Amino acid sequence: MTRRVGIVGAAVTPFRAKWFEKTYYELAQMATREAVKDAGISIGEVDAVFYGIYNDIFERACIPEHPLQGICGMQNKFGIRISNGGATGAYTMSAAHAYVAAGRFKIALVLGVEKATDCYDFQSMSSTPEVIKTIAWSGDSFFEQQIGWSASDSYAEVVLAYMDEHPGDLKPEVTAQVSSLLSQNVRNNPYAQRQLDQVTPQEVLNSRLVVYPFRELEICVYSEGAAALILAEEETAKAIARNTGKPVVWITGVGEANEHSFAGRNQKVMSRIMSDHYGAHRAYEMAGIKDPAKAIEVVELHDAFVHQLEISCAEFGLVPLGRADALIEEGLMTPGGKYVVNPCGGLIYCGHAVGASNIMSAWSARNELIKRKLKTALVHGTGSTVAQYTACLILEHD
Amino acid sequence: MTERKASAKVIPTEIIPEPGSRTVAIDGKDYLVANDAMFTFYQRSKGELSPYFVALRDEKRILGCKCTRCGLVRVPPFLTHCPDCEFTPTELVEVQQVGVMNSTPPITYFATSLFQRMAPFGRGRVILNGADTALSVNVYTTTGILVPGLIKKGAEVKVVFRDDRIGESSDIFCVPTCELTPEQVEKKGLQESEINWEAAVIPQLPKASKEQVGIYEDSVREIASVIEEMNRTERAKRDIAEWKRDIQVKTMGGEFGILIDDGEIRLRQGKVASPDFVMVCEDPRVLLDGLAYRGALTDAVILKKLWISKNQEFVTIFKLDRMARSLARTSKR
Repeated sequence: MTRRVGIVGAAVTPFRAKWFEKTYYELAQMATREAVKDAGISIGEVDAVFYGIYNDIFERACIPEHPLQGICGMQNKFGIRISNGGATGAYTMSAAHAYVAAGRFKIALVLGVEKATDCYDFQSMSSTPEVIKTIAWSGDSFFEQQIGWSASDSYAEVVLAYMDEHPGDLKPEVTAQVSSLLSQNVRNNPYAQRQLDQVTPQEVLNSRLVVYPFRELEICVYSEGAAALILAEEETAKAIARNTGKPVVWITGVGEANEHSFAGRNQKVMSRIMSDHYGAHRAYEMAGIKDPAKAIEVVELHDAFVHQLEISCAEFGLVPLGRADALIEEGLMTPGGKYVVNPCGGLIYCGHAVGASNIMSAWSARNELIKRKLKTALVHGTGSTVAQYTACLILEHD
Repeated sequence: MTERKASAKVIPTEIIPEPGSRTVAIDGKDYLVANDAMFTFYQRSKGELSPYFVALRDEKRILGCKCTRCGLVRVPPFLTHCPDCEFTPTELVEVQQVGVMNSTPPITYFATSLFQRMAPFGRGRVILNGADTALSVNVYTTTGILVPGLIKKGAEVKVVFRDDRIGESSDIFCVPTCELTPEQVEKKGLQESEINWEAAVIPQLPKASKEQVGIYEDSVREIASVIEEMNRTERAKRDIAEWKRDIQVKTMGGEFGILIDDGEIRLRQGKVASPDFVMVCEDPRVLLDGLAYRGALTDAVILKKLWISKNQEFVTIFKLDRMARSLARTSKR
């Protein structure tokens, strides 16, 4: 019989475009220090660590987690690294949940870190072309790396295929409003890379095309930072909560799916993000959620691109496929609307420190459930080519 | 002709930095930043995929694999046994060199550091006649810069082979069949040198009226003012740190230069000696709007309101767009 697992501590470092002052060693330790402090425990009480680090090349080392074991005070204990593309953080939480639920550990540390912008292109004298090149080593090495595959163009494939099927949806004026709204949300996140970067829909429309159909202000920004959670099994979680006075936020559902990376008959349906559909619905099933549109109040989703945010919400069952613009047009995600979507500003405004991003989303969802006295949140991570990977978690506040 | 990532070495020598380091000071403390690289060389076998790549390189043929039970034809032939049929063996088959786009292809304007010379380029998936699955390919137009709407889902495209093939997925790309002659569409193993590519020529500007000269003079005054403001804005200056370009701008009412030099940007009246590249726009307000963040210069190039003499100078256009945004951000504070 599996055990209930709850979040009893959480922390993030500031997400920044560049941390000259710190390596990923220190970022990882900062998040760990703050998370155990938040849980009111000693690091010695933690049984296991689950590292979320996406890309070896960013950290400039294979098995980049090995120095962190000692740096984070976890020597001689269980440590495992999860690397699942953009969904690394969500999959790391999923793995940690499984071990704790299975009774292997009482308390686990989930630790995501990434330092993306040490990569540097000496031709353009800027980081971004080299950062996206580093990510582009994630494309298919036989068939796609040689023809300019990038994360943006692979997600654009999915978005354009969706728009082929639903030509009236994802209207430019709506995607611009979503971005503008996220830029307002980020005001309340002091750890965000772009906390003070509020933009109007017109400014979004005026920003340049990067990969058609994505404009600069509709794409997540690469970031450097770390995020950590302390997970505990039920009895331990309740004891910790009594000590800290902070409520336990329970992980009541977890669901994952990875699609085919090739497209066509019997393979990836390009106009859908079936990984999101299966991942979310498997998490709902585990949590006993029959109608997500009624149950879900807070959504902290991985918004690699605004258009994908809209499609993902449709795949989650929060809006109909083909009517994702209802998020704005029917006020579903506008202030006071049915769903609180990415109150942290999302990865577009808080930043995308890949291995840490989804863990940051869980940190935010936990804060929002407690602060707003809401019950249920959905946390999501997407990644790999053509939005192939998804992991979702349902968080519930008693 | 379409460019592809090509170099005399497996790592292009021009992208390799010199060894070195610098110090960055933040809040009174110094941090050391070192030039570095991670690299690995390979002699990598293409194993079971070899027949596909050899057929591309040597025979100008495209192979797929057909499941001997369900008959599904996968292109490229990326597996030897069908997972949908309990791993029944597949056999190699040849497919046709014309097909349709599985969905509307994205267009990359801002590419990775390895592909900046190629941009803008499309990459999409084509279902070749005789295939059930989609092959990832670059898509180009013979008519200049690829713009949104030119190639859509269902568009019929033709596989074109590069003249110089090396046994890689970049040995082929696709162009719309509507831009080719029936003979070209019909021909098996059509090569890029057999196609008429529209050459880039500097657009000729009509003579300006008195009113247009007035617009030019007003616009240049305003551009000068925006540029002055950029020079006073730290964030905008950082966008062109260590960057140097002399740009000749030609418009209907006259011409001037924009000179970028490591964090400084200046406007100079008249001709620029040995410019790095030329920008041409009939209406100087296109450039003004871009610099004043009322519309992106990148979009102006895509929409053919602004012409640049070298595609790889998109990188400078991006920097100018970035400066405009930095200025707008700073002005709000």
